[in-house]
Amino acid sequence: MLVIRPVRPADLPSLERLAGSATPRLTNLPAHRDRLEERIARSQRAFAGDIDAPGDEHYIFVLEDLERGEVAGTATIRAQAGVREAYYTYRQETLIHASQQLDVRREVPTLALSHEVSDATLLCALSLDARYKGTSAESLLRRARLMFISQYPERFADLLAMAFPGYLDGQGESPFWNSVGRHFFVRDYQEINYFAGVRSKSFVAEVMPQFPLYLALLTPQARAAIGREHPDHESAMNEMLAEGFLRSRHVDIFDAGPVIKGERERLASFRRAAWHPVRIRPAHALPDAEPAMIANQRLADFRCVVARYALSPTGQLMLSPEHAELLGVEEGRAVLAAPLALPGADADEPGYDEGEL
Amino acid sequence: MRMRPIVETDIDELQALARETGVGFTSLPDNREFLAARIASTVSAFEERTPVDQRLYFFVLEDEETGRLAGCCAIEGQVGRETPFYHYRLGTLAHSSVQLDLHRTIDTLFLSSDHTGDAEVASLFLRPEYRGGDHRHQRNGALLSMMRWLFMAEFRDRFPEKVLAEMRGVFDERGRSPFWECLGSHFFPLDFDEADKLTGLGQKSFIGELMPKFPIYTPFLSEAARACIGEVHEHTRPALAMLKKQGLRWEGYIDIFDGGPTVEAYIDDVRGVRLSRRCRVEVKAGALEASPRPRWLAATTGMAGFRAAWLGRGPDEHGVVTLDEGEARRLEVASGDTLRILDTEEEA
Repeated sequence: MLVIRPVRPADLPSLERLAGSATPRLTNLPAHRDRLEERIARSQRAFAGDIDAPGDEHYIFVLEDLERGEVAGTATIRAQAGVREAYYTYRQETLIHASQQLDVRREVPTLALSHEVSDATLLCALSLDARYKGTSAESLLRRARLMFISQYPERFADLLAMAFPGYLDGQGESPFWNSVGRHFFVRDYQEINYFAGVRSKSFVAEVMPQFPLYLALLTPQARAAIGREHPDHESAMNEMLAEGFLRSRHVDIFDAGPVIKGERERLASFRRAAWHPVRIRPAHALPDAEPAMIANQRLADFRCVVARYALSPTGQLMLSPEHAELLGVEEGRAVLAAPLALPGADADEPGYDEGEL
Repeated sequence: MRMRPIVETDIDELQALARETGVGFTSLPDNREFLAARIASTVSAFEERTPVDQRLYFFVLEDEETGRLAGCCAIEGQVGRETPFYHYRLGTLAHSSVQLDLHRTIDTLFLSSDHTGDAEVASLFLRPEYRGGDHRHQRNGALLSMMRWLFMAEFRDRFPEKVLAEMRGVFDERGRSPFWECLGSHFFPLDFDEADKLTGLGQKSFIGELMPKFPIYTPFLSEAARACIGEVHEHTRPALAMLKKQGLRWEGYIDIFDGGPTVEAYIDDVRGVRLSRRCRVEVKAGALEASPRPRWLAATTGMAGFRAAWLGRGPDEHGVVTLDEGEARRLEVASGDTLRILDTEEEA
């Protein structure tokens, strides 16, 4: 049985292991014990706090495999992407250079530093043991955060954002970094990424070139990497696009990985999430039904599992005693449920954020 | 050999010169209509019919023996007044972070029109057959280059505070500019020659319309392109050396197309302006002693009928300069007239 719950201090070694095994390494999940320990403490304060507006809270969740007795994954919500410091992205822009004299009109693409994503709530730092990849556990880990946000909307922004790891070549090098950042830092991508995770990404961003970059002057490999997610994250990207996130004009300043954005009201899990009173039935007596994410409504003891979305004729959600215990709910208490399957999305035609067009 | 303002009848010879100059010599395009307009503009300037900020003074070097034109040069009264005048300014941005233990400076090119309103010395060309070899002793190149300082000194109130000269940039053996290939070609739907030609014709509005407005970080340019920044074409080195000797300096401005340097100075600080002085003329019949190598440069003091040439000797301690009849004829002066003289070998 798999369950999502808030991180605990005892999870530190697991978190360290997951940070080390993330591919590629994540800025928001540095394999650094002291930093992770601080983050766990910070997360505990966030879950325990009386909060009525998003601030610099981090909510770290883990995926626990109860049979194996181990933590198999982790994911984080940053209530606000940039609070004390700005959250930097490159925004893809197009300038028109037109000459009446020559009767020409040229589109000149640029990348301009932006702080626009700073106010969004950021879903980040997801790492999952390889053996769970492609299972419902992966979707649960990724989207249980939406179940949490749905219950505590005052703690988060209306706009959610996710930065996907960018394209790296076979040697683990970022062609974008090699064409852009390296000129200014003389350090390789992995090194700067680790530094940003352990210290601060805005320390780095403040030293990035402040004027817009003309794409024409970047290497073809760097241009090709702009807005392209790491190959290992393609399915995750498709899932979030199906969820209702949209590709944006923003990309990561280090590796040009895509930033996607979603308005809460437009995300499938928010729109379809529904409250149901619980009725407990033996597992063998539960009717067959599509899988759903089921979450309790206990902030610091938040739990979310995948179970069958089996409703009684009167709208009660039928749970096995094991699941009820896992969620810490008795018969008659309400739980939040949303189907695990997403409405079919045409991944070939990802939409753009209307607000940006 | 003597310098004089260009006149209408020089048009054929001027066009022949223009044909010889080649790529990268923006200011002398092989375009008869354009050249005729340049001549008309010069005639009007020397007659002082044009406002001082729109004047072009175009001079030719005349071979009196053959009547041919050996070369030319010009002074633009003020640049950027009628059409925009662009440069890149090579600047430095510090990228520094205590947390990152980082301190780097990045060279950056900023688009600028800082030189608007400055005077420009330009269009210097000397036919190959009048350079080097047997002609080295004639110092024709020096005459072309330096006579302009005497002109500016004499008519100082017609000129602004500063003067500049744009030097031709680096081209590879196939005549291509690495700087253009790496930067300009991305923004202009033209090849270098076409762009250069339009610029020469004064049709420069396309530059402002198509050029990148944001600064260019030079690390994004190729090594070959970076190597062109502030570097001159090898044929331009002697001309640059001559200007530097006069006190013109490279202050980081470069041509937006080929990356060649623009050198500049305050006019009052230019050696030839500072050290040239007026002398009274005395013409003597018969042969006079003359220095084997031209050293004293003379220019007349009237705008109309302006002439300049080398003299065989300098002024005496009373400020009187003695000319033989040939020199007097060349400069069209007589005893009692005034000449502006520069000792080109005097230590500044």
